Parts: sequence; structure tokens; C-alpha cells
Amino acid sequence: MTKPVELPQGTLEMLILKAISLGPLHGYGILLRIQQISGQRLEILQGSFYTAVYRLERRGWIKGAWGESENSRRARFYSLTASGRRQLESETAKWTDMAAVVAGILDKKADEI
Amino acid sequence: MSLLGPIRKLWHSIYQAIAPRTHSDVEEEFRSTLDCYRREDLIGQGLPEEEARRKARIELGRPSAQNETYRDAIGLRLFDELGRDMRFGLRALRRNPGFAAVAVLSLALGIGATTAMFSLIYAVLLHPFPYAGADRIVNPVWIDQQHPDEWSWFILNMAQFDDLRLAAPVDAALGFNPSHMEITGGGLPEDISGVYLTENAGTFFGVHPLLGRNIEPSDAENGGHSIVVLNYRFWQRHFGGDRHIIGQILEINHAPYTIAGVMPRRFAFNDTTDVGDVYLPGSLMRDLANVPYEAYIPWLKLRPHATLAAANAALEPIVRQFAKEHPERFSDRWRLALQPIIVPFQQGTGPTLTLLLAGVVLLLIIGCANCSILLLARGRTRQHELAIRSAIGASRWRIVRQLLVEAMAISSTGALLGVAASYWLAKLPLLLSPASFPAESVIRINAPILAFSVALALVCGILFGLVPALRLSRHDAARMLPGRGVAAAPARHRWSVLIAAQIALTLLLMATAGSAIHSFLRLMQMPLGYDPANVMKLGIMLHVHDSGEWSRIQSREARTAYIEQLREKVASVPGVSMVAIAADATPPYPGAKISFAISGTREREQPQARVMLVGPRYFAALRIPLLQGRVWNTDENARGDFVAVVNQAFATRYLGWSNGMSNALGRQLRLPALTGQGRYAAASAQSAAWRQIIGVVGDARNDGVDRPVLPAIYVPYTTVLPSYVQFFVRTQRDPLASLHSIRAAIASVASDQQVSSGSFNGTFTLNEAIERDEQYSRQRLFSILFGFFSAMALALALVGVFSVVAYTVAQRTTEFGVRLALGAPRAHVLWVAARLALVSTAAGMVLGLALDSFLGAILAHWMQGAFAAGSLFAAAALLALSALLACLWPARYAMSVPPGEALRCQ
Repeated sequence: MTKPVELPQGTLEMLILKAISLGPLHGYGILLRIQQISGQRLEILQGSFYTAVYRLERRGWIKGAWGESENSRRARFYSLTASGRRQLESETAKWTDMAAVVAGILDKKADEI
Repeated sequence: MSLLGPIRKLWHSIYQAIAPRTHSDVEEEFRSTLDCYRREDLIGQGLPEEEARRKARIELGRPSAQNETYRDAIGLRLFDELGRDMRFGLRALRRNPGFAAVAVLSLALGIGATTAMFSLIYAVLLHPFPYAGADRIVNPVWIDQQHPDEWSWFILNMAQFDDLRLAAPVDAALGFNPSHMEITGGGLPEDISGVYLTENAGTFFGVHPLLGRNIEPSDAENGGHSIVVLNYRFWQRHFGGDRHIIGQILEINHAPYTIAGVMPRRFAFNDTTDVGDVYLPGSLMRDLANVPYEAYIPWLKLRPHATLAAANAALEPIVRQFAKEHPERFSDRWRLALQPIIVPFQQGTGPTLTLLLAGVVLLLIIGCANCSILLLARGRTRQHELAIRSAIGASRWRIVRQLLVEAMAISSTGALLGVAASYWLAKLPLLLSPASFPAESVIRINAPILAFSVALALVCGILFGLVPALRLSRHDAARMLPGRGVAAAPARHRWSVLIAAQIALTLLLMATAGSAIHSFLRLMQMPLGYDPANVMKLGIMLHVHDSGEWSRIQSREARTAYIEQLREKVASVPGVSMVAIAADATPPYPGAKISFAISGTREREQPQARVMLVGPRYFAALRIPLLQGRVWNTDENARGDFVAVVNQAFATRYLGWSNGMSNALGRQLRLPALTGQGRYAAASAQSAAWRQIIGVVGDARNDGVDRPVLPAIYVPYTTVLPSYVQFFVRTQRDPLASLHSIRAAIASVASDQQVSSGSFNGTFTLNEAIERDEQYSRQRLFSILFGFFSAMALALALVGVFSVVAYTVAQRTTEFGVRLALGAPRAHVLWVAARLALVSTAAGMVLGLALDSFLGAILAHWMQGAFAAGSLFAAAALLALSALLACLWPARYAMSVPPGEALRCQ
């Protein structure tokens, strides 16, 4: 197993949006999917995870509806709303930009400056 | 239904969008997560069922806790916590009912009284009239340059009225004419007050009638429709509030009128002249016999952005023109003033209300101080609880917030009770001093007043909650926790400050009440110069509207004979000892101010005196003493001319009279204005000619009960005989008891002779006339209300002092027990227990005395004779004595602590 990473402030919400953008998921499903995509390297705390989900729902970026889970149990499935999708796109663009700039700076070697 | 459906759907979707999810929804989601975790993760990892369930619980927590996470995430946590604090605060209050009751009551008193006073001010000064655009309505008056504080209304004919109505700054104009009328056609004629209004009255007032309609412009057609609109109180009184009255006929002055409408209760036009019982179209005045011109008093509604000064400048030339047409109606030098219709009340009532408001605010502050004291005292017993809270992690802010919310719980409960009480409290001043307030102001609890009291509750809660909260939240948990209940963290100097402030303000209120009562007593004992006991006034309105009757008594001689015949008949009624005739000479405001001239002096300026038209028995009936000379006899009375009697003030000022040593008798005076100008008045041959002064009588109050007696001239009433006279009837017992037989006696002379009856429009005793006097009723209002305020303040202050000492004793029981066991004298223990309260009370008294002498000068400006050293010291002594008792009563217990028991407490 590789080393776990810690999330910077505010990125969890982006990850949740991303996870849901691939298809509606219930709360625990989101958690599992993020862990699965990250290759089990992200340790997400239950408390902060649900706080983030609730906040996203309150802002209207995701929408919850009751449905049946894969093993036919009642669960609350979240899906992305239109504004959530826009939010995800802009956040992704922002993140990619920032990551590129930061990585560019960090990659510089002394002789390149 | 078809409309409701979509609305409900819309509401539902809005609600869905903004409402938080329910508890059960959040919990259910969490349970399903728990379930997933347990099954897919843990059991998948090979844990046994039971173990998996336990582990899932441990790692994810309780479902109910999830709700907290949810509400925190969406920002509702603060509300939840405040709600919890509120519930806790209310629970704590319920556990301590004695404390809660005292705290809530002390606030309820203050808030109730303040809200009541505010609603009174709102009703009287801020929003007294029901008319549309009432703040733009002005009453044009002219002000005599020589007497700038006196103003007069003026009367216009139709052409002049139109001139004003069409002036640029005027939006609309209302003309009115108040008249005495009588209702005929029933048994006895009934005296009422009618007001003719120009037919635009409905739109000018903009007041929706309760029943039927307003007077409308179409009522002016064909010389005026014979319709009448009723005043609410008249409708209640005369028709018992019958709602089916529209269209019925009311006979006024022997002519039929159709009842067209009834005005709502709030409409009581016009308070300054006389509130009308009925309102009639002004065009009807043209048909009236003996009315030479249409006579209107104007009210003007200015255009929305017209300023008073600009309107004044625009109208002044127009009114100057009127003065040229009728110079006799204006004085020599005058100026026009447009007076907003609120002004007469502001002048009379504004200072009264300000003073009362100051009183209730003091009461409120005392109540708040009391709550602070109680909270501090109770806080000492709660230190243990607060220490535990802070020990398990509550921040100081959190504890301050908790304590403030508890204070809010007290203040909101107090405000609730206070607002309920204010509904009745606000009516008290109106009952005690009806003459000082506009009849149209209605005291009501409305939105501004509710907002005011809610704000008041919040401010009070913070005011009295903050000091104890800051004090009690300053904890050192380690120091507080071990010694449960005996920790003596002294809040002493805060207590002393609060008690001293409370005592000082209480003393201030008591001193004010003392001087108000003092000056009211002085007023009551003041010699009036006449004897009002057992004297009643009857109004006799002669038959001006019945042309047959009128022609019989139109001549001056016939009318005098008729009136004298009535007088003799009334005088013969058993129980009646004397009857005097007068025309408008009811003390304490008899007669009218009229200019006069004295022989042998230069007529450079025109001095004015009160002139009373009376019969020769007036002085005996009212027991006004004759000091010199004589009163005119019956023959001179019938003639009316050449004689006059003056009062002592007149003789002293104008005739050099002192203690009867003067040649006042024989001097001559004349009253140039005394001519028969009125519609029905009949003047004697030489009413404005020189009159010989034949007597000097004592001073009887003639400018209100509290102001110095003005120079007065008495002349025979027959000199200008009006269509209305008064009988002053002195009886041996209660005058109202003989009213029935007096009426019968009058009816035996003329069966339909109207006698104004009932205290609302005429018959009242002279004692009632004094009670209606504005100064008298205002002084009475002050002394009763300030007496009430100071009694409340005293009670609150004593509760404050008492509770400080009682808590001190309860807290230090052990200490006192030890002191006694070690042999301390009991007096010393008493002193230790009461020291704090006694010293701060003394400091408060000193402060209060200083404050009072500082404010005394200001108060003296508001109330006549406000500063009275005697009443101040009486108040101080009463306060000192009762504060001493409030200290010693609970402190006494400290002396009787059995040492053994005190030690066992540990």
C-alpha cells in the first residue's frame, strides 16, 4: 500500500462533486468511490465528509433523493444539479491551473532560472 | 380550489428549497450508511455480525448526533443553541419561582408603564387624528401683536372662503360652523351641538363612515339636502347604537332631516370648538331665519410640499383684505399664523407627557437595577454550576451568552405582562384628566407600539443582564469547585453601586411625587373667592327656532320677564335656597375678556378685563362677598344700563383701592364693545355708554383655579340679552337630587322649555367645573401618577435592598455561626450582615438629594411650586426608614444562627 495523502482545505467538496458527476451515488457510495479512485490513498473522516455533503446539498449543487441501493435497501442517492456541474467545471479548471503553476515552480532547478 | 392548488404547490416547492431536512430524514440516511458500512466493509472483511455492528457504531457514532453535524453544516447551530439556552433559562426560572416572580414583576411594571406612556404619546402627539393627510391640515388664526400668546379663529363668508380655497398653496379647504341645536318632536327637547360643514367634508376628512355615507358635494343641490350625519357617541347615546337607522327621520329645530350616515368612533370633529353631535350640509344655513351671512371657520389642507412659511406669506395678503372688509373682527395690529391642528394639544399636553415619560423611564431603570441585583445574588448560588460548565470546556463568551439569554427570558416575560398591563395603564391618564387629551386619540396596541416594547425588552435584558453575566462568567474553576456554595466571590461593589443608584432614583421620584401632591393640596386649599358647594348650573336655551314662540319673547322686556318668571318658579322649589341668572359666567373661567375705558384716564391703550353679564343675585348665590357699596336692584337690573360692579383686583389696579380706603364708588367706566351684535341678542338702549361703579366685590377665581384673579367687571345680564342664559341654583343638599322637581317647575311655566341636561352638555355642579379645569386636572394627574410611580419605585428598591441582605445572610450562615460561637456581640453580627446595604443606601440617599436639588430647578419650570423642602425631607425620611427596615429584617436572622447548626452545614 502506498502512503496516504491528506487533503488540502476545501478540496473534499470538489472530490465529492467529481464522484457524483460519474453517476448518482448514496453517501457511503461516494466515500467508497473516492477511496477507490484514489487507490485507497485518501483517508476521509466521516464527520467532515458528511458536513461537506450537507453543505453541497444546501447550496443546491447536489440533490438528494430516496431510492433503492444495489442490494435493494433504501438509501439516499445524490446527483449533480446543473449549477453543481458548472461549479465542478470551474473548480476543476481553477485547480488544474493552480496545480500547473505550483508544479512549474516546484520543478524548476537552479540552473533553469 | 382551482386557485389554491397551484399556490399550495408553489409554496411547497419554495418550502422544499429553503427548509432544512427533517431530523428523521437525516437519521435514516445515516442509518443506511451505517448499514452499508457494516455489511459491505466489516462483514466483508470477515468480522462476525455482532462485532461488525459494534465497530460500525464506534467508528461512525450515533444517528442522533448526525443531526448536529447536519445543522452545523447548514449554519443553524447558533439558533439551536440559543433555543436550548432559552429553554434552559425558562426551566431555571421555573425552579426558582420566587426569584422569577420578583424579577419578572419588577420589569413588567417598568415596561408596562413605559409602553403605556409611549402609546399615549403615540396616540396624542404622533398620530392623534383620523383624517387623511392630517399633518397638512392647518387652522388659520390671527395673533394679536400685543398679546402674542393668544390667538383667535376667524369667520368667513362664502366669497372669502372661496378666496382662501383657491389660493395657490391650498390643496383643499373645509368650512365649518358649530351651532347649538335642539332635537324636537320627542318628549322634552334635547340640547345638542351641530356642525355645518361644506359639502366637500367627505373627501376632505377621508374618513370612511361606519354606516351609510358622508356628506357629499351633491348634498349642496337645491339649497342643500336635508340630511344629517351622526357622531358615534351621539348615535350610541341617542339611538343606542341601532344599526338600522339609516334613512330614518331625525327632527332638529322643528324640521325633518334624513339620517344619511354614522361616523366611526374615532371621528370627533371638532375638539377645539365643540365636538359635534350631528353634521349637516353647510348649504342649509342659507335657509335659516335670521342668518345674515354664511359663516364659516376655515381649515385648510396644504399641498403636499408647501411649507408653512410659504403658505403663510401667500395667504396673509388675502386675509388682510378680509380685515379691511370687517375691521371689527380683528384687532389693530395682528399677524396671520397657519397653525397645524395638533398645536393646541401639543401646547397643553406635550410637557405633561414628557414629564410622565421621564417618571416611567426612571421606574424602568429602577426595575432593571433590581433585576441586576437579583441576578447577581442568584448567581452566587449558581457559581458551582457555572464553574462546572467552564471546567468542561465552555468558553467565557458561551457562559455570558447563556446568562444573557436567561436575562432575556426574564425581560421577555416581563414585556409580555407589561404590554398586557399597558393596555389598561394607558387609559388611566385619560380617565384622570380627560380635558388635556384630544377626544379623537384612541389608545391602541399597534405595530409601532409592539415594536417599541420588544425593543425595550431587548434593551432591558442586555442592560440588566450584562453586568451580572460579565461578573459571573469570570471564573477560576479550580478555586470555585472544591468549596461548594461557600465561596465568597464578592460582587460587592457592583451591588453597592446598583443599590445606591436605585435608592437615588427612588428618592428623586418620591421627591417629585411629594411636591406634586404638595402643590395639588395647596391648590385644593386655595381660597376660591366663591363657594362652589351645592351649586348647580342649568342651561336655558330660548326658543329661537320656533318663530311663533320667538316673536312672543323677541323684545328685550318680554324676554327678561319670561326669564325672571322661570327664575321665580325654580326658586320656589323646595330645597332650593337661591337662584341667580347669568350669561356665560361659570367659574373658574367666567365671562369674556373685553376692553374698557375709565373716566378721567387717557384712553391711550385699551386695558382688558373679564366682563360678566349677571343678575343681582349672582353674588349671593355664589357667596362672593360685597366689600363696599351695593349691588344693583331689580329696577336697575331691568333697565340694564348705567351701573356696574367691579372686583377687588379691578379696584386695586385701576381705582387705587386699598382696604376700602378709596373713592372707587362713583367712578365711571364704559365697555365700547358691549353692543347687541349677535343674531338673537337684544341690547339695552345705552349698553355701551358710561356706567357708574356702585359696588366692589371680593375676588373670585376667574382665570382658572391656580392663576391670579384678573380684574373683573359685572354688569346686568339684561344689557345684552342673549338667547341662552344660565341659572345658578344653590340648594340645601345635593343639587342634582332636586333636578327633577326643578324641571317640573320649568315645565309648568312653558311645557316645551328646554333645559340642558346631563353633565355632558350643560348641567353640572360648580365642583365639577373645577374638576374639569385643566390646571386642576393636570395637577391631580401628576400627583396620582407620580404617587403611584414612587410607591412602585419604593417597593422595588426595598425588594432590592432586602434581597441583597437576605442573600448575604444565607451565604454567610457558617461565618455568622462561627463569629457567634467565638463570642462576637450580636449587634456586631447584625452590623456585619447589613453593612453593605446600609452604607450603599446612605450613599444613594446623598446622591438622590444632590440629584433632586440639581433637577429641582428644571422641575420647577414644569410644575408650579415643584420644589418644596418639606415634602423632600418627608420623602427622604420615609425612604430611609423603610430601607432600614428592609436591611434589618433579613439581617436579624444572622443574629439567631445557632452555632452548632451552622457548623454542621459544612
